[in-house]
Amino acid sequence: MKPASVLTVDHLTKTFRLHSEKNNSLKQLIAGKKKNKFEEFTALKDISFEVHEGEVFGVIGHNGSGKSTLLKCMAGILQPNEGSVSVNKRMSALLELGAGFHPELSGRDNVFLNAAILGMSRRDIAGRFDEIVDFSGLEGFIDSPVKTYSTGMYVRLAFAVAINVDPQLLIIDEILAVGDVTFQQKCMEKFVDFRNEGRTIVLVTHAMASVKDMCDRAIWLEHGHLAAEGDPSELVEAYTERMLGSRERSDDGSTRRGSGEIQIHTVEMRSDRVGTDIKRFRTGDDITIRMHYTADKTIPTPVFSFAIESLGGATVTVPCTRDVGLIPSTVSGSGVVEVTLKDVSLLPGTYDLHTAITDFNRQHIYDHLQVALRFDVMTGKPYETMGMVTMRPSWTISD
Amino acid sequence: MAHRNLLYLLSLKELRTRYKKSVLGWAWSLFNPLSQMLIFSVIFLYVFKAEPPIGDPSGLKNFPLFFLSGLLPFNFFSIGIGTSIGAVQGGGGLIKKVQFPHEHLVFSVIVAQFVTLLIELGILTIAMLIAGNQVLPYLPMMLIVMVLLAFFTTGLALMLSAANVFYHDVNYLWGILSQVLFYSTPVIYNPATIELAALRFIANYGPTGSFITASHNIMYDLRIPGPGRMIQLVVLGAGTFALGAWVFNKLSPRFAEEM
Repeated sequence: MKPASVLTVDHLTKTFRLHSEKNNSLKQLIAGKKKNKFEEFTALKDISFEVHEGEVFGVIGHNGSGKSTLLKCMAGILQPNEGSVSVNKRMSALLELGAGFHPELSGRDNVFLNAAILGMSRRDIAGRFDEIVDFSGLEGFIDSPVKTYSTGMYVRLAFAVAINVDPQLLIIDEILAVGDVTFQQKCMEKFVDFRNEGRTIVLVTHAMASVKDMCDRAIWLEHGHLAAEGDPSELVEAYTERMLGSRERSDDGSTRRGSGEIQIHTVEMRSDRVGTDIKRFRTGDDITIRMHYTADKTIPTPVFSFAIESLGGATVTVPCTRDVGLIPSTVSGSGVVEVTLKDVSLLPGTYDLHTAITDFNRQHIYDHLQVALRFDVMTGKPYETMGMVTMRPSWTISD
Repeated sequence: MAHRNLLYLLSLKELRTRYKKSVLGWAWSLFNPLSQMLIFSVIFLYVFKAEPPIGDPSGLKNFPLFFLSGLLPFNFFSIGIGTSIGAVQGGGGLIKKVQFPHEHLVFSVIVAQFVTLLIELGILTIAMLIAGNQVLPYLPMMLIVMVLLAFFTTGLALMLSAANVFYHDVNYLWGILSQVLFYSTPVIYNPATIELAALRFIANYGPTGSFITASHNIMYDLRIPGPGRMIQLVVLGAGTFALGAWVFNKLSPRFAEEM
């Protein structure tokens, strides 16, 4: 059985008039003739999707992709030019925390006022007041005017109100990153509770990790169009890849990005014990890494670096030419950069090697080869069963 | 129900925050009409050496009381609209972030202003009684006229505050218009003394003039306004309110975009 739809966006199109200068004057109205002098900007073009009951639905997209406009249309703040948005559950949209807080009023009064703005009756608010205050952790300050609150306190109180409005459909915009870590944890728990209670959540965010972790389904907006809809992990991956710029994927699983004036064309790793073909080393080996580059033109003060990362994504070490003061004034044509890591401390496991050539400030990337090589480390000396690196411990136990 | 609660809380906010951070607080709402009364009394009685109107049939001859019984309703009207225009314009942050019935921004201002008016009229009543004007039996009628004035004011406030979102000129225009209305309304003078018939007509039957004249009749003259006047006030109140609500509902979906 198809789950019931809670929110339906049907062929939604939203355009804005771009005034060259926002000139709200009667003169303009009376003069009349200037009236047609605006450009239309299409923020959303023919968007259709459904959000089903009980699911966590993600909306991703870069800045200016129309995310916020879509959110405001869903929240009923903006009216679509064409198409429609229909919501058939009690909805709460958290676009900005504390919108409508009055600085001179006490926390208590603001809780009541804010909850009323969000559509709660007085009896409902009174019933939930203690819960709201408890969630915010502001018991001692609730009767002080909110102008005396710190930003963190302000946001906590606002969030506590918003989350306690008891919505069946919650639309959230980028607000998972509020307050300190403890409070964030609390918010996260609340969201998980929400989801477990079968409520519906629409999450509009840049935080790809939370989309992957929390969402059941997602859409990807690009320049006002619906670029893709489907499984969040796949979508996030595709999105991340697009965002990182002109990346190309080579057959060996490595990916490349950068402006390309200078390029890495071969990366090798070897130790005295094994040749270059077998990417398998032992703890304690001396490993030499070599990068072959070709520069199309003269590159001033390039910085070469390697990065070794565990499969889990932890960066173990990033040897870099700049850090040791090895700064060629220019490079051009082809060349080789070599680094030797003596008596390697890596413990058994699989690691990825990334390489990069950047400008001196490490702001501009000429070439970056993600997963240039993947290699294994086998048991060697010293041997430890846990952890990622050895610190070559020497032990004594005395009575 | 929830929205009635919103109106109540917004009105309360309006009242509570109005005189925050001022030492004299609420007393200011009384100083304003009192200072106006003092200024105009001096000008009227000592500069122009005019005769105060005589209450018919009350026989009261007291310029300050005559002035206040017209000024208080007029201030409600004029301040109510001015504040409403500002409230919708200043509510931009909220309008852009939360979906809620925007008209409550206006309603709450009018409610708060009406509470102020009732307090002021209460004080005026005491002053009338001290001056020997037995105004108590006429107060229910005064309340009816004031409620009609509130509808009239709300209608105009809805219209102007919505238009002001699109053209901020409305705000400045209202500053001038309220001055024109103040002097074309018989607050400081007795309309019977105007010689030019057209002006006398405006003072007597212009929209604000009609409300203020009715207020003078009740509070100062101790006379129930005639049925003709009452019908005019009902039509003005209901008609303006309906028109204002229509305009506001037409324009308010576009507020978030325009702000």
